[in-house]
Amino acid sequence: MRKRSRLVTDRSLNFRTGTGRDDGGVDARARRAPRARFGLAQWMFVVPAGAYLLLFFGYPLVKNIAMSFQQYTTTTFYTGEAPFVGLQNYSKVLSANLFSQAVITTVLFTVGSICGQFVLGLAMALFFQHRFPLSRALRSLLLLPWLLPLVVSGTTWRWMLDPDTGVVNAALRGLHLSSSGVPWLTGTSQALVSVILINIWVGIPFNTAILYGGLLNIPTHLYEAAKLDGAGPVMSFRYVTWPLLRPVVSVVLVLGVVYTVKVLDIILVVTGGGPAGATETIATRAYELSFQQFEFGRGAVLSNVLIVFSLAFALLHLRASRRALTV
Amino acid sequence: MISPAGRPVRRIAARLAGAMALVLATTGCVGGAGTGSATGKVTSITVLDYYTQRSEHTQWNEVLTACGKTAGVTVEHTSVPPASLIPRVLRQASSRTLPDLLMLDNADLQQIAQTGALTPLDQYGIDTNGFAEGILSAGTYEGKVYGLAPYVSTVALFYSKDMLAEAGVAVPRTWDELKEAAAGLTRQGRYGMAVDASATFESSWQFLPFLWSNGGHEKRLDTPQAAQALQLWVDLVKNGSMSKSVLNWTQADVHDQFAAGRTAMMINGPWRIAALNNDRNMNWGVAPVPVPRVGQVPVTPLGGEVWTVPQSSSKDRQKKAAEVLACLNSAPNTLTLAEQHFTVPSRTAVAARYAEQDPTMAVFVKSVEGARVRTGELGVRWPKAATGIYTAIQSALTGEQTPEEALRHAQEIATSD
Amino acid sequence: MKPSPSRGRLSSTVVGIVLLALMLFPVYWMVNASLQPAGNLLGGDLFPLPPDVSGYVIALRDQGSNLLTSLVIALGSVALSLGLAAPAAYALAQFSLRGTNLVLLGVLITQMVPSIVVANALYSAYTDLGLLNSHVGLILADSTAGTPFAIIILHSFMRTIPREIIEAARVDGAGRVRVFRSMVLPLSSNALITAAVFTFLFTWSDFLFALTLTTTPTVQPITLGIYQYLGAHTEQWNAVMATTVMASVPAVLLLAVAQRHVTAGATSGAVRAG
Repeated sequence: MRKRSRLVTDRSLNFRTGTGRDDGGVDARARRAPRARFGLAQWMFVVPAGAYLLLFFGYPLVKNIAMSFQQYTTTTFYTGEAPFVGLQNYSKVLSANLFSQAVITTVLFTVGSICGQFVLGLAMALFFQHRFPLSRALRSLLLLPWLLPLVVSGTTWRWMLDPDTGVVNAALRGLHLSSSGVPWLTGTSQALVSVILINIWVGIPFNTAILYGGLLNIPTHLYEAAKLDGAGPVMSFRYVTWPLLRPVVSVVLVLGVVYTVKVLDIILVVTGGGPAGATETIATRAYELSFQQFEFGRGAVLSNVLIVFSLAFALLHLRASRRALTV
Repeated sequence: MISPAGRPVRRIAARLAGAMALVLATTGCVGGAGTGSATGKVTSITVLDYYTQRSEHTQWNEVLTACGKTAGVTVEHTSVPPASLIPRVLRQASSRTLPDLLMLDNADLQQIAQTGALTPLDQYGIDTNGFAEGILSAGTYEGKVYGLAPYVSTVALFYSKDMLAEAGVAVPRTWDELKEAAAGLTRQGRYGMAVDASATFESSWQFLPFLWSNGGHEKRLDTPQAAQALQLWVDLVKNGSMSKSVLNWTQADVHDQFAAGRTAMMINGPWRIAALNNDRNMNWGVAPVPVPRVGQVPVTPLGGEVWTVPQSSSKDRQKKAAEVLACLNSAPNTLTLAEQHFTVPSRTAVAARYAEQDPTMAVFVKSVEGARVRTGELGVRWPKAATGIYTAIQSALTGEQTPEEALRHAQEIATSD
Repeated sequence: MKPSPSRGRLSSTVVGIVLLALMLFPVYWMVNASLQPAGNLLGGDLFPLPPDVSGYVIALRDQGSNLLTSLVIALGSVALSLGLAAPAAYALAQFSLRGTNLVLLGVLITQMVPSIVVANALYSAYTDLGLLNSHVGLILADSTAGTPFAIIILHSFMRTIPREIIEAARVDGAGRVRVFRSMVLPLSSNALITAAVFTFLFTWSDFLFALTLTTTPTVQPITLGIYQYLGAHTEQWNAVMATTVMASVPAVLLLAVAQRHVTAGATSGAVRAG
């Protein structure tokens, strides 16, 4: 309920000028005078947050670019010397097999996670669209997997997916679906599937919540009209739900990609990037290079790749969300 | 939509204020990693090692506390998992937050000493005479001794006597016998054999006896000898006598599997014996690591952790840490520690007496005498080779690459910069 | 609402409960494993009968101080994030400052920046500043999640406060700070709570900064504690799982107590771009 009103108010914000209709003159006068006198005072409200964001986002972005041209090793880090080496880090990192492998894994992980989260999240949202006894309680309980620390979820799943002693394989054996069990964490392709499944599990609640909110904003009279025209559930989804939900869908997908690309916790906890590097993504490689092998220069190269990727999607996100709000 | 809600906000404000106060109060201990002031008397030192296993941690804690007492300090003892020790040490080195007394696997010493993070022990007047040559060379970098180990060890084959008897299998001495025995011992819910094949230095260490006994060498990994050794591990997994989970098992996990009766044989070190002896149901035996052909003597790596005194701002703290280090490596303590961990004292005179006193330990004393130092050939480049080895193990055991391909790649890693 | 036959609605309830049970099974399994007796390797019985709390005893002994560390850092991060975000959001929403849109765009973009990028740079900076292994260092780093989020949530709410009300108070002679404190903040209490809840959860769940910006066990959040446990205590899975259960308590509590705000935060996450 709450979110519906939020969406509505957000949208109405674009028509805020409407409130100025009857007191526009006063408004303009009142605003002009203080601005001259209090310009600085006004900015003081923003300065602390602005300074913080510059220090903790602006500086790291610049610093990462600088670091990517420097050579850090275990030795030089201790002595504090990190000589400039030009593009050497880039050529080494980007030409390595491990890089192309990490890119592929990142793409598979992201696409797999997003598809699963979205489809299942949408199915859940459609299911909850019609109220039934306990639907509210069930809907909020559903949020739990999303709220748990990722380390907690990862640890639990790792325990459940243990090929020899885990409950998942025990169930598969019990149901005679697999006699030997699936090597969830020890097969190279299975391990990737495992981390994708876990990430889907984590992401379903978020997708359900947002899509559910989007569904609530579709006026019910449109469904009634569609019904009068003889549309079944499939037709009304195709011609009413989907078109009206599209703006929200694009926001969900873009946000999902941006968040999934940088996932580290789950992979580090569940597989540690293994076996044989099969679940190594750009983000986990960046972490390993910087903080395990102490090659901060090369780690920074991968971090920059992540930034470019994320910012490209951020731009998409901005475009998508602007569309979402102006529809 | 908009409703005046003064009360909740005041409550929030009060809570925030409370939180702030709490934060301010607790940050009083910021950077309090045992930074006793340089001038004041040192009353405690920090110690870092990788003895996370409960009984091992307790035993070390007792010895450290006792040695601390003689040096007049209390000891803050922390243990982290083996695989995370080196990354942690590197970060501590770069941020100058190293502990006062640091334990390192002897194969990692030279790499860490090279960074300049450690202090040579001669400046504390510690006498390094009387230590066995192998472990002393592992603790030496550019002519100076940086680390001393109270005891040394190596790996061996552990087996369950009951399971072998029940399956009618003899203790395997060669690779072929090992494969046969492992297959014969495999049952529903139990594997015949277990090794550490994780993506850590521990698996490289466990692989060395197979590599070396077959004539392979860490300097040149893409050889047929190396490929044959790796093929043995691959075969054990392929025919189901070794769990594929070995890819994720550390030596501690391998031990847990063995203790739980989920594997009949394992490669591990004698420092596990104490824990095995605690388990009354366990009827275990130990034998040399199987060799390629009958009659060969296995070549195993020299194990043992060296204790070091890292650089720190306070000379006094370094001095106290060195006193504790000297105490750990004193003749009586090397004997006590070796007895506790079923390992061999690193002082040759003590080891000789030890072998006389306890004939069962004579086997271990002998095996350690022939053990090779991992950094003996490669020095500071050993960690690169070790990375190449475990990468190859992972690629081959998952079936991503053949042993030959995997080892070619390993050689690239070992020689990269 | 469409009138639907009550049998259909009840069957929906049944399906809903089954779906939820499937989704929450891992949570149950975590609690179940935490109550199993200690052993080398848990076989994994379906029910923890009889429940064994020895895992909790060990977990509390080993990880109790880490829980406290997480609590301190999370509360500190809530205070810092809201302290920074509330005035900024107010100014951006109400002052018609030039460059407002640019600032908002910047805030949005910060949410896309991977934390590994921030961690990379902060590590060397913190080394020089002596902020590694400190509560303050982690609070500052962890607030990188909460601050932008809070600005966006609060901004989109504060825009809905009619400007006339504020102008009226100003005409009455109230200073900007007073208007903000005694009028805007009380009006925004719901949005503030939502922002606080999420900032708390962000920081409580943080793993990467805990992993990269601490080098000694002096200041160790619970997430890192669990990660360390995983490598070191394979023989005591019940203690590991007991720790994860304890680390889940805030999420469960906040979902129970502030469910309305959690839902609001989840959904406004998507439309915050306004």
